[in-house]
Amino acid sequence: MTPPILSRKDMPFCPGCGHGIAVKNLAKALEEAGYDPLDAIIVSDIGCAGLVDSIFATHTIHGLHGRAPALALGVSLGLIDPDKKVIAIQGDGGATIGLQHLLEAARRNVDMTLIVLNNLLYGMTGGQMSGLSTQAFKAGHLIEDDTPPFDVVQLMHEAGAAFSCRITAPGEFKAHFIEALATSGFSLIEVACLCPSHGVKKLKELADVAMGDLKLAYERAPARAEYRETAPLFGLEKPVATANRSTIKERLGLVIAGSAGGGVQSAARLIANAGILSGLHVTMKGEYPITVGAGFSAAEVILSRKPIHYTGLESPDVVVAVTEDGMAKARSRKKEHTTLVLDSKLREEAFPNAIYGDFQKEGGKQGAALYAAAFWLVREGVLEIEALLEAARKHKHSEALVELIEKAGTVNSER
Amino acid sequence: MQLIDGSKIITEACVRAGADVYVGYPITPSNWFYAYAQKRFPLFLAGPDEISVLQWMSGFSAAGRLPVTATSFPGLALMVETLNMAHMMELPMAIIVTQRLGPSTGSATTGAQGDLLLLRGAISGGCPMPVFCPSNFEDCWNLAYESIQVAIRYRTPVVLLTSKEMVMTHKSFDVSALPEIKKVERETAKVELPYQSYRSGADGVPPFVPLGDETYQVRLNASTHGNLGLIQKGSAEAMANTRRLKDKLEKNIQSFTFYELDEEAGADELIVSYGISSDAARDAVTEIRRQGKKVSLLVIKTLLPVPPAILDILERYKKQVFVEENLPGLLRELIYGQARRKNIRSVNKIGSMIAPSEILNEFAV
Ligand code: SF4
Ligand SMILES: [Mg+2]
Repeated sequence: MTPPILSRKDMPFCPGCGHGIAVKNLAKALEEAGYDPLDAIIVSDIGCAGLVDSIFATHTIHGLHGRAPALALGVSLGLIDPDKKVIAIQGDGGATIGLQHLLEAARRNVDMTLIVLNNLLYGMTGGQMSGLSTQAFKAGHLIEDDTPPFDVVQLMHEAGAAFSCRITAPGEFKAHFIEALATSGFSLIEVACLCPSHGVKKLKELADVAMGDLKLAYERAPARAEYRETAPLFGLEKPVATANRSTIKERLGLVIAGSAGGGVQSAARLIANAGILSGLHVTMKGEYPITVGAGFSAAEVILSRKPIHYTGLESPDVVVAVTEDGMAKARSRKKEHTTLVLDSKLREEAFPNAIYGDFQKEGGKQGAALYAAAFWLVREGVLEIEALLEAARKHKHSEALVELIEKAGTVNSER
Repeated sequence: MQLIDGSKIITEACVRAGADVYVGYPITPSNWFYAYAQKRFPLFLAGPDEISVLQWMSGFSAAGRLPVTATSFPGLALMVETLNMAHMMELPMAIIVTQRLGPSTGSATTGAQGDLLLLRGAISGGCPMPVFCPSNFEDCWNLAYESIQVAIRYRTPVVLLTSKEMVMTHKSFDVSALPEIKKVERETAKVELPYQSYRSGADGVPPFVPLGDETYQVRLNASTHGNLGLIQKGSAEAMANTRRLKDKLEKNIQSFTFYELDEEAGADELIVSYGISSDAARDAVTEIRRQGKKVSLLVIKTLLPVPPAILDILERYKKQVFVEENLPGLLRELIYGQARRKNIRSVNKIGSMIAPSEILNEFAV
């Protein structure tokens, strides 16, 4: 004999409350199925249905209104011993406010049992209607609302629950609880409940207003939590020493601006890496509109002799722009001393420090930004072409990048 | 040196410290955490919304796991009720909050420092949970570790408060200078019999036993409860338990008080900053001193509960300038309220990071 599942006989509910009947049947089902109290975890919700903790000798966790199925999902997938049984209990109000949680647990077929005690109303707050209140019940309650209820049994089945059923007669509760507990995966049982204080007072009436019984099965594998071994994102090894091979004196701020999908971010990252390979301190950050796939794409790179604290770039030394989208950005960022490196299709009239080149034509749509920036950086001696090539070779599309940078370097040597 | 970002550093530190579950819901500018966590966490789950995320995490935590998530204001707002639940149940977990410009959806790709007072007031009843705020990459590493350690040691949700610019900016950085992180071991609870889930020892922290334990019956509760973990209304025992939630953090705060104090002898003026504005403050201090003026700098890293050690430092300075990326000056308000104070000034801004030059303006003769 296993110890009793209930720790006390008296119920915390109003006399005659259907919740008491359901809970006692659940305890009997657990006992008959051979559960020791510490093999089960009761996850309770808010409302009258949430008062069950104190009568169970099992593990208990009492959470928030409507969230018991979500809390139970976490417990189930987090269990150190996955053979423990997780049982969530909530009312029809809880199932209404937290319907998403039921759907998600069913969709994933998480190994747990959810019991919805449906007394067709919010009991604890005085008898208001819930999303599971039936039309027949509402008609008798002077409620001018004939919206049909959610059929959670059908919904859970559709969402992927291994087992879902609705039972009205208390005589059948226990057998169905046993069936639900034996299910591997997500099982839902909605049981019809009396609420003598605000709702249906007699079982005979309950059969008339409750939704009809229904039982649906869906054989599929339950969700499994696989705790993997993973490799570190980075190690703490000493970095390889880098040679000082840049001509910048203190600091250089660069903005690269183009259109989304134009390789602006990866160009900036490559230049930042080349900066590190040249013995410099660097920062790199992207700037894009809310949708990253449309409009402009800009990135800032700071190359510095000294460590960089503040990473903002108030007045860039050079702004590279290769498209119309990027040109608008360049106009907003340029200061009097800024050098503009622009595609020859773009024009900044009356701005003396502008350099033009056929970057789009030579570099292509995705390569123009890198091509233009590499061209200028190498020309000015800010970075050696070797540093850029070395950074490019570490990239997964290294061949195309290497070719592009070499081409940009050639333009310089031809001048 | 390598090119690295704050999201990567924080994710790696969390896992090394022993965090084993990441439950995520995508939101800008926290998405890099999501991507790194998918690679690095032993278990990764995608929640359908932020309420579910924190509920699932609470379940994982109650079962003995150490869950982490990252979000931004809109997600945090949805999490507030469950944050209260986790605080009340005393469930260890870490929530990374990446601040972005509000109100409301605001600008998802613009940084900000606008959520400090939301966190200060998030727990009904007013007792805050620990909030750490990294001011640079070293802090990202160390405070991520401390978040896990403090969450476990004091059985509490911990918030790591960052901002877009901290976690989405790449910088050259020497990771070999970072201290090794050892997994925070969860001591097997020293349990006094009969076991009660909320009976605590001298440090005010009840020993943690997970749901599903073979020996002890565990009862966790989000409503006002007694030591047993069952609902109790108004009893002395239940009130003592509620009071203990505040006391356990305040009593132990010395063990998680973090700040950087760069004091200059003879200075009577102090720049106070935190998070993403700190680096501008560091640069400004260098420049102010270069100009021959005396100034000290305090960068606060434990924001909540406000450590007494921070108040002690503030009391030593007649003049203070609070530097933070929001309009009203939230840290200043946290410390001094809304009362007018002579000699307490602010440098505030929204829409982009505060620049060193904007702090210098405050010191121009
Ligand atoms: S109000 Fe209704 S549901 Fe609540 S305990 Fe009383 S009878 Fe049961
Ligand atoms: Mg109900």
